[in-house]
Amino acid sequence: MPFSTYLDSKRADCAALVSELGRHFSYVSVLGTDVRATVIRADRRSSAVQDGRGECGFVVKMHDGRSFFEYSLDDISGDKAALAQRILEAVKVDPALAGRMISTAALSDEPMTRDFARENDFSQYNDAALLDVCRELCGELTAKDEHVMNAIVMLQPFEVSKLFVTKNRQLSQYYGWANGYLMVVYNDGRMVHARHVEGEDHLAVIIENLRAHTDSVIGLAKHLTKATPITPGVYDVITDSSITGLIAHEAFGHGVEMDQFVKDRALAKQFVGRYVASPIANMHDGAAAAHSVASYFFDDDGVLAHDTQIIRNGILEAGLSDLGSAAQLGTVPTGNGRRDSYKRKAYSRMTNTFFEPGQDKLEDMIASVKHGYMLFETNNGMEDPKNWQIQCTAEYGIEIVDGKLTDHYVSPVVMSGSVPELLKSISMVSDNFKVIGSGMCGKGYKEWVRVSDGGPNLKVRVKLG
Amino acid sequence: MMDVKQLLSSNSGLDGWRVTETATASYELFFVHKKLETVRATDTVDTSATVYVRHDGKLGDSTFAVYPSMTEQDVAAKIGAAAARARLVFNEPYELPEAETLSVSLPTNMENRDMKALGREIADAVFAADTVEGGSINACEIFLYHETVKVFNSRGVRKTQSIYRVMIEAIPTFTTDKESVELYEDHRFTTFDAEKVTAEIAARMREVRDRSLAVKPATPMKVNVVLRPQEISHLVRDLARDLNYASVYSHANLHKVGDDLQSGGSGDKLTVTMKGIVEGSERSASFDADGAALHDTCIIENGVVKSYYGSTRFGQYLGVKQPSGELPCARLEPGTLKAEDIKKAPCIECVSLSGLQLDLYNDYIGGEIRLAYYYDGEKTVPITGISMSGKLSDVLSTLRLSETTTVQGAYEGPDKLLMREISVL
Repeated sequence: MPFSTYLDSKRADCAALVSELGRHFSYVSVLGTDVRATVIRADRRSSAVQDGRGECGFVVKMHDGRSFFEYSLDDISGDKAALAQRILEAVKVDPALAGRMISTAALSDEPMTRDFARENDFSQYNDAALLDVCRELCGELTAKDEHVMNAIVMLQPFEVSKLFVTKNRQLSQYYGWANGYLMVVYNDGRMVHARHVEGEDHLAVIIENLRAHTDSVIGLAKHLTKATPITPGVYDVITDSSITGLIAHEAFGHGVEMDQFVKDRALAKQFVGRYVASPIANMHDGAAAAHSVASYFFDDDGVLAHDTQIIRNGILEAGLSDLGSAAQLGTVPTGNGRRDSYKRKAYSRMTNTFFEPGQDKLEDMIASVKHGYMLFETNNGMEDPKNWQIQCTAEYGIEIVDGKLTDHYVSPVVMSGSVPELLKSISMVSDNFKVIGSGMCGKGYKEWVRVSDGGPNLKVRVKLG
Repeated sequence: MMDVKQLLSSNSGLDGWRVTETATASYELFFVHKKLETVRATDTVDTSATVYVRHDGKLGDSTFAVYPSMTEQDVAAKIGAAAARARLVFNEPYELPEAETLSVSLPTNMENRDMKALGREIADAVFAADTVEGGSINACEIFLYHETVKVFNSRGVRKTQSIYRVMIEAIPTFTTDKESVELYEDHRFTTFDAEKVTAEIAARMREVRDRSLAVKPATPMKVNVVLRPQEISHLVRDLARDLNYASVYSHANLHKVGDDLQSGGSGDKLTVTMKGIVEGSERSASFDADGAALHDTCIIENGVVKSYYGSTRFGQYLGVKQPSGELPCARLEPGTLKAEDIKKAPCIECVSLSGLQLDLYNDYIGGEIRLAYYYDGEKTVPITGISMSGKLSDVLSTLRLSETTTVQGAYEGPDKLLMREISVL
């Protein structure tokens, strides 16, 4: 099992620090992280093989029966009594603020000892082989069309090892994930970028899929050079899985992160048990809900992965919580406590977020549209959990006229409007399903974590601009 | 204590190396309403090393992370692995920055202050603005950072920069019988001024009260739209990114030197200078990631692309005699727009957008407006629930820039930008 040998060697240190700090706090946990990432990249003029965004360090979480304290550090070796004193001094609070600390129930520390691991095939590939793949695909893309100014091909495997230790709990996990990218800069009188992204925990699958998409990414670039702006208006829209996921993520995922409930920052708090979407809409989130980039075994609070059904038949059923927000709300944490890195606080965060598939056939959905658009590929989105406004940008759309997809591409396409209006407008849900594991999600404008989202095709009515 | 530089210097298989260290000490306060939920502190060091190997007439490089937990043997093995990776890379040769020593501290009044007391003072300044009836600050996060960045290389670069910076994320909220609304806002500074913090957040409190009164105006309409610094900085950043040496080298740049971005225009002309230091900006830097000296560079002058900017490596690839270095900040020169000019015609003055959507390649600018003030020619009312879109080239040709300036993040320049005849739905 390729769990980090470094973290494995620190189990006793973690337990000793928990014991030492346990003299001052009713609950102490130590999370150790060792994330190793690699970037392999080739374009027409340069290449790279180097470490990507990884991390290796520890975060200590303490609860004194009332409030939370955390300390992030690089290493926990050495004298634990001295380290505990350093931590106690660092998290002291000015006396004027001491009387303003919150008071929550004590945290539970259910006994458990488990070691989790999921296989990948990363060890079957060396740097040279992966760089060769990137160069080969770059060459193939540039040779396909004289208008390709540059082609960028990238593989980004990363491996996650985490160790979680409390007085009664010792958990470890190892898993890997990789993303693959094809991107072309294409100039046929007008310069555009077109891309294709893959995510999997087996590089063999990613490489095969990238090879299968070199023609389609060039084809997309050709279409984008002729894309026009969309005429702003309200349209019938068919989403691809990526845009379905974007809606799930931005429209309602952020809105049910329960640390926002604690702060009265989420309107959803008042809508639990009420219709928020069409009766044919069912939405989930959870590290255990799908196999993708956020499919960990336990979260950064040491809570095992869940599958949370957020919306059942249009009714808001449950939210997503970390240990802290659950303690404040008096609920059971859902395994959604995630950190940007060991240097940052844990918040309630999404993992794999998606709509369930339905009964409709995609071709019937397209045929049902008199005039509208099918939207493809997430560009970006922005949440508004308090006021339920939404803004999601698709890379491009294809016009639908009289039930048929045309050759008319529009780009970019910004969806905006009211979240409940959008979700209640879902009138058809396809029977296919895809979760795309290449996303990064911020909370506000910071705290980046890897997430996936997706689902089936949806038919909605929404404002496009 | 392990010396990474010594290990790199003693490896005969390398033709050069660079080490970057960022030491961060932070103190962080997380409030739920007015109650303190979490107190955090961090004490971490990020170290990365890059090795350079000349082979086959080319230059390869590879960067790896060095963790404090690593032993000397671990790092030696990482150096060997990185050298092997570098030999797989066939990039055009370039020279690393030459020997130079520098040690600077960016101006601040927070040096040597006790972080706990300073944190309390900042919290007091934030909550002093919580005085609007019906309003509240529902959440507040305060981050105090002391960062020291060091860059060393095999040619004798030895540079250090120390910075104190604060980031406040405060969520002003206003609640009525009918609804509760909020605005997201962050505040960043390198010099603490309690009155200024309170004043900025108090202004947001007034605006969020107006959001509760905001209505959706009759649409569609074509109207002048005024952007604030956050969106202006986004526009300048995207224009500048297109003119980076790396974009030019990889044939990804849309605009070239000599291109007129505002051809036939009737508005204020854009003049943009990329800068290392902007007073008050937390993004200010005295050197870049390579340790290269930074040379302020005017990239757009009177609307015409004047030059490119960027790192030493890509500058050398383009044959630039003195590359600018990777300049982190941008200054946009002020224009001629006076406050009274804005209301010479109906206009929408944006307060909060979901995010400005800019696409240089598709000639697009737009976004969803969460709060704005609409002047219909007679009266001004708060509005919400609308989105705007337009052609970026039309906006550039006709925009007006305010006479007054501000600093926001890595941007220094006009605090208002007027776009003419934008479609609003």
